[in-house]
Amino acid sequence: MSTLRIPLRRRGHLASAMLVTAAYILPVYVALVSAFKTQDQILANPAAPPAPFTFDNIIKALSRPDNLVQGGLGNSVFVTAATVVLLVPLASAVSFYISQRTPKVKAALLAFFALGLMVPPQVVLLPIVELLTAIGLDHTYPGLILSNIGGGYLSFAVFVYVGFLRTVPPEIIEAARVDGAGDVRLWWQVIMPVVRPATATVSIFLGLWVWNDFLNPLLILGPLQGQTITTGVYLSVGGYSTDYGQLFGIMFLSAVIPVVGYLVSQREFIHGLMSGASK
Amino acid sequence: MPSARTASRRRPLGLAPFLWVALLLYVAFLVYPVLNSLWTSFTDKNPLRAESSFVGFDNYTEMLTDERLRASLLFTVVVVVVVTLIANAIGLGFALLLNRQSVGYRVMRTLIFIPQVLSGVIVAIIWRSILTENGLLNAVLQRIGVTSAPVSWLGSTEMATLSLCAVVSWITIAFATVVYSASLRSVPPSLYEAAKMDGAGAVSRFRNVTFPMIAPGTTITVVLCLITTFKLYDVIAVLTGGGPANTTQSTAYYLIQLAFTNNLFGYSSAVAMLLLALTAGIAYLVTNVLRKREARL
Repeated sequence: MSTLRIPLRRRGHLASAMLVTAAYILPVYVALVSAFKTQDQILANPAAPPAPFTFDNIIKALSRPDNLVQGGLGNSVFVTAATVVLLVPLASAVSFYISQRTPKVKAALLAFFALGLMVPPQVVLLPIVELLTAIGLDHTYPGLILSNIGGGYLSFAVFVYVGFLRTVPPEIIEAARVDGAGDVRLWWQVIMPVVRPATATVSIFLGLWVWNDFLNPLLILGPLQGQTITTGVYLSVGGYSTDYGQLFGIMFLSAVIPVVGYLVSQREFIHGLMSGASK
Repeated sequence: MPSARTASRRRPLGLAPFLWVALLLYVAFLVYPVLNSLWTSFTDKNPLRAESSFVGFDNYTEMLTDERLRASLLFTVVVVVVVTLIANAIGLGFALLLNRQSVGYRVMRTLIFIPQVLSGVIVAIIWRSILTENGLLNAVLQRIGVTSAPVSWLGSTEMATLSLCAVVSWITIAFATVVYSASLRSVPPSLYEAAKMDGAGAVSRFRNVTFPMIAPGTTITVVLCLITTFKLYDVIAVLTGGGPANTTQSTAYYLIQLAFTNNLFGYSSAVAMLLLALTAGIAYLVTNVLRKREARL
């Protein structure tokens, strides 16, 4: 029995670590099992495992006549993907451009973009809604995507890219120039592959933030225009606050994509968190 | 090679169009809105009236006597202080407890970050179901005999504030644990060996080696706590709806109520300027103070 050879103290440490982690993560567990339990099971014993196991909540959530889950998931995927796909090349090109300028110009541009990191979203929301109304994009997805791209997310992306570009040896850029690459080709074929770790960081964080964003979709799209899954969950709380089974089913479906995405990419996630935060 | 150096500083003009597009969007959706809010804060703009007029500093003087604003600022300060203390203490504790290299510990470190991945709306719904009168928390407390009657966790002013602090802390602990875990891994083992050779005990090793080395982790966590709390909206909207009696409203929450529920565009813009000044000022101050502390340690 090899387990017996593990010193008692170390086994005690592992046990207490597991106990503390389980206690901390208990609310997530309760939400997860509740998605697969009936209303009666949830009320009788919230923490018990789902036995018997039921898919009723998930099926009910997916067969709602208002199409809240499918519609919301579709809209969230679209808004998140469009924001990331448009913002990543824009931010990396701008950052490469900035990083090649003289120190003075570079510092000025970076300071200008730094403003975006300090502005709470609530401060700019009202003028953004008014601006979108003026150009006819209020209550539209392009309006939401444009304000995602132009707002504080751009600042974050530029900071990550410029920080990463500092570590790229100038010889790489030199060699490509000597080979006669134009600026756009140099950026797309040489720089983009080199900054892939920064692209991973930016995409992961923007994806998560845009997916979980609540205030912008709620007030830019408006409740009547169909919503993202995050605002959809919020709006379903009112009507179903007593039907926990239904509510947890919807929550499970709305959280499964970001949580699985995190579990799959957690190495890049943590790495990006540290490199992004240390600036 | 001076020629190579100047060449590498050549402006990549082919990419200038990207800069113009980015600047256009950034100015339209960030810089202009800030300036627009600043201008609006000097008017009595209200969407229910066609005309608005310049009122000078009226909105700013009104803030001085606004009880709800004062309460929201006090509430924000309470949440910031409580969350910063709890998240740093427990986050560091978790990181120390889980600071081992084996599959089990790695899995636990992965699981602990999940509260950060969930949206504030979902976190708040989960906690609302736990904190409700016949929820899990009261059931457990009654079974082990701590209380006989169910506690109204979201019903009274003090309890609702406490509950909100607890939930925001729960979210932030996830972040703090991961940051501190990474900080601990960056401490060179040779420092511990040297300290052991000098006869330093566990406590002294923590105080003189670990603690100074993880100072950057503290900076990051404190700054994040500040940012999170200053723009706190979704957790409040779902967990307490700002109640009872408007006592659990952050200034950012109050600002949205003023603009989109009460239609007071002029006044809400003045509050927005106050929030902006506070956020920028405190972020600048805290970063500077903590960076100096890092250097001193």
